[in-house]
Amino acid sequence: MRSSPRAEPKGTREGKSRKGLPLLFWRLPRRGRREEWLAALGFLFLGLVLIRFFVIWPSIRTLWFSLFDAKGFAGPSNFVALFRDREILDFSRFLRREPPWGALFHNLVWIFVHLPFTVGLGLILAVVFSKIKSWWVGIARGAIYLGIVTPLIVGGVIIRFLFDKHAGMVPQILGALGAPIPWSAGWVAYPETALLALVIGSIWLWTGFSMVLHSAGLSTIDRELYEAAQIDGASELAQFRYITLPLLRPVTLVVAAMTFLWELKIFDIVYVATMGGPGGASNVLALEMYFAAFRELDPYRASAIATLITLFSLPVGYWFARRRLRR
Amino acid sequence: MRSWWRVLGILLGVSVLFVGAWAEKLVVIGPWSGAEADPFIAVLDAFKAKTGIDYEYRTMRAEDLSKVLPAQFGAGMAPGDVIFMWGWWIAKFADHMADLTDVIADVPFAYVSPLVVNGRTVGVPYVVFVKPGFWYRKSFFAEYNLKPPTSWPDFISLLKRIKAIPGVEDAAASGDGVGWPLSDTTEHFILAYGGVNTFLGLIDGTVKWESPEVRAVFEDYLVPYLDYASEPIEWTSALDLWWEGKYGIYFMGNWITGMVDDPSDLGVFALPGAKAVTGGPDIFFVPKYSKRLEDAKKLAAFLMSKEGQELRAAGGGKLVVRADVSPTAYPPAERALMKALEGFSLVPDMDDTIGGEWQAAFWDQLKLLWVKPGALDDVLRVLDEKFPKG
Repeated sequence: MRSSPRAEPKGTREGKSRKGLPLLFWRLPRRGRREEWLAALGFLFLGLVLIRFFVIWPSIRTLWFSLFDAKGFAGPSNFVALFRDREILDFSRFLRREPPWGALFHNLVWIFVHLPFTVGLGLILAVVFSKIKSWWVGIARGAIYLGIVTPLIVGGVIIRFLFDKHAGMVPQILGALGAPIPWSAGWVAYPETALLALVIGSIWLWTGFSMVLHSAGLSTIDRELYEAAQIDGASELAQFRYITLPLLRPVTLVVAAMTFLWELKIFDIVYVATMGGPGGASNVLALEMYFAAFRELDPYRASAIATLITLFSLPVGYWFARRRLRR
Repeated sequence: MRSWWRVLGILLGVSVLFVGAWAEKLVVIGPWSGAEADPFIAVLDAFKAKTGIDYEYRTMRAEDLSKVLPAQFGAGMAPGDVIFMWGWWIAKFADHMADLTDVIADVPFAYVSPLVVNGRTVGVPYVVFVKPGFWYRKSFFAEYNLKPPTSWPDFISLLKRIKAIPGVEDAAASGDGVGWPLSDTTEHFILAYGGVNTFLGLIDGTVKWESPEVRAVFEDYLVPYLDYASEPIEWTSALDLWWEGKYGIYFMGNWITGMVDDPSDLGVFALPGAKAVTGGPDIFFVPKYSKRLEDAKKLAAFLMSKEGQELRAAGGGKLVVRADVSPTAYPPAERALMKALEGFSLVPDMDDTIGGEWQAAFWDQLKLLWVKPGALDDVLRVLDEKFPKG
């Protein structure tokens, strides 16, 4: 939508009216702008209706359900029960013994391992590919990007076979190098390796996303900055450190935020490859929510887990939304 | 402009034809795929040839259906017209099933009875499976001069001898679906060394998993066996590997006879001391939301007719439930199995009977036990914790 040539009232850009009220409650715009608003609302109407029924209403109901149990209003007891549940948090085992450590800890492992790898690898690959002019760069880019267009269900199957004792490349190679069991066996069958197999496998599935966004970010950096740095005798590493990295920071933050959200709601890969096993060793919050809803037929516990996932996502989502609004 | 109308007309026509063709098919959902499904497909083809009613067969595991159906039922819908599902689950959702009392009024059931809830027949047992024990290739045993065991030490000795054969990875293959073939093996051990009463006590909750008698079965028999068993392998892949000779024995249900290249090369033995084996029916229901309820009932009637049952018996892999089907209707492998099972009593499959969250926990915990026998304490504790309350 083209912006009006008229000057905007003070405070509008900050999302506030002149009296300090939020933008939504601000008085109706004048005629010219009102037409634009009406046109915008016309375009948005269907989307808003769909969001109302398929996002907002289910979210409110989920929150509502999370405060109940089969007997009636339960307050926060569902959440208290979750934090005491060994399937969610098992402090007695976490980092002391092999998994299971609880679904929430498994999500955290996912975030601490998967996030830096995918963001960092995507950045490095984007920079390397932008420097190399060769016929194989396109193929390599395509192969990496393939992960992001592969349905996660298929990704889960691929991971299962990649780490299978008989069909899998990883255990076969490690076995040939003399690695002991479980490294040379089926990774998804052993509690020590199941979660790791999923995390490693999913790095390929998500690195393409990071690489593409960083590549797009790179293309927006003014080439003259590099030319000036070269004239000043800056090394490749210095150029990366003082030009590429700072200027790509907004992109990197977005990639990290999106990756964080992806990791919190990870489900498909785990469901297909391990079903959260063995013995819950690769279970994650979203899968636990699914089991509660459709296996235990307990909508209250499932809603509490869903609310928990939302609460963890909220700060990042809020930051992301604010960032976009500010723009 | 006219050409646009023409294109639109053609597209509409094709869509109507496509939708019409799609809508006409009766949707049958069962758990079998590949070679295991072939004998059932043959029965469906015979039904189509006889009635002209076209069908579409879709493979869906019961554990997947259990997550899809409640939401569909809630919306007054069903993904199929004839659906195979666990008995406990059908009973739980009986209100959503059509009454099939009239359809099976004249069927003389053997082994099992139809599932009746509040006077309505909501589930019909179609075939029966048994899990008789460990399967072996007669040619493999003959080549290495091996014999089915007659005692527990004999069994361990057999496992040692198989494991020592060059090219063999492990003595026993461990199939894994979502954990269920491991549960079948475990149930067989409990039946053989804990006894039928302990087994039935575990089903009704009067015997605890952490009780000394159950722990003894695990510690003295199952855990030592795991030294010779492979890690869990996807069960159809395990079947191929076992058939190729990577493993010597394979615990599986009798449907295996319909899945191997040469059923006459199959031999089977129960664990020494076993007096009972597990088994159970594959049960189907017709959802009351079926858009083609009458056709679905026609198919149900055909499946349970003598003609339909004899046709299924001839396909092998399962025992049919009509008492008036002659043993001669079966292929030789099934006849040999029926002979081998003489003297054994049949008890219900444990995890299928208990069902629910516990069933999934049982599968998952056994996957852990198979690779971490040292986790036995945790496994037994979780199985007691997850057991349905009340």
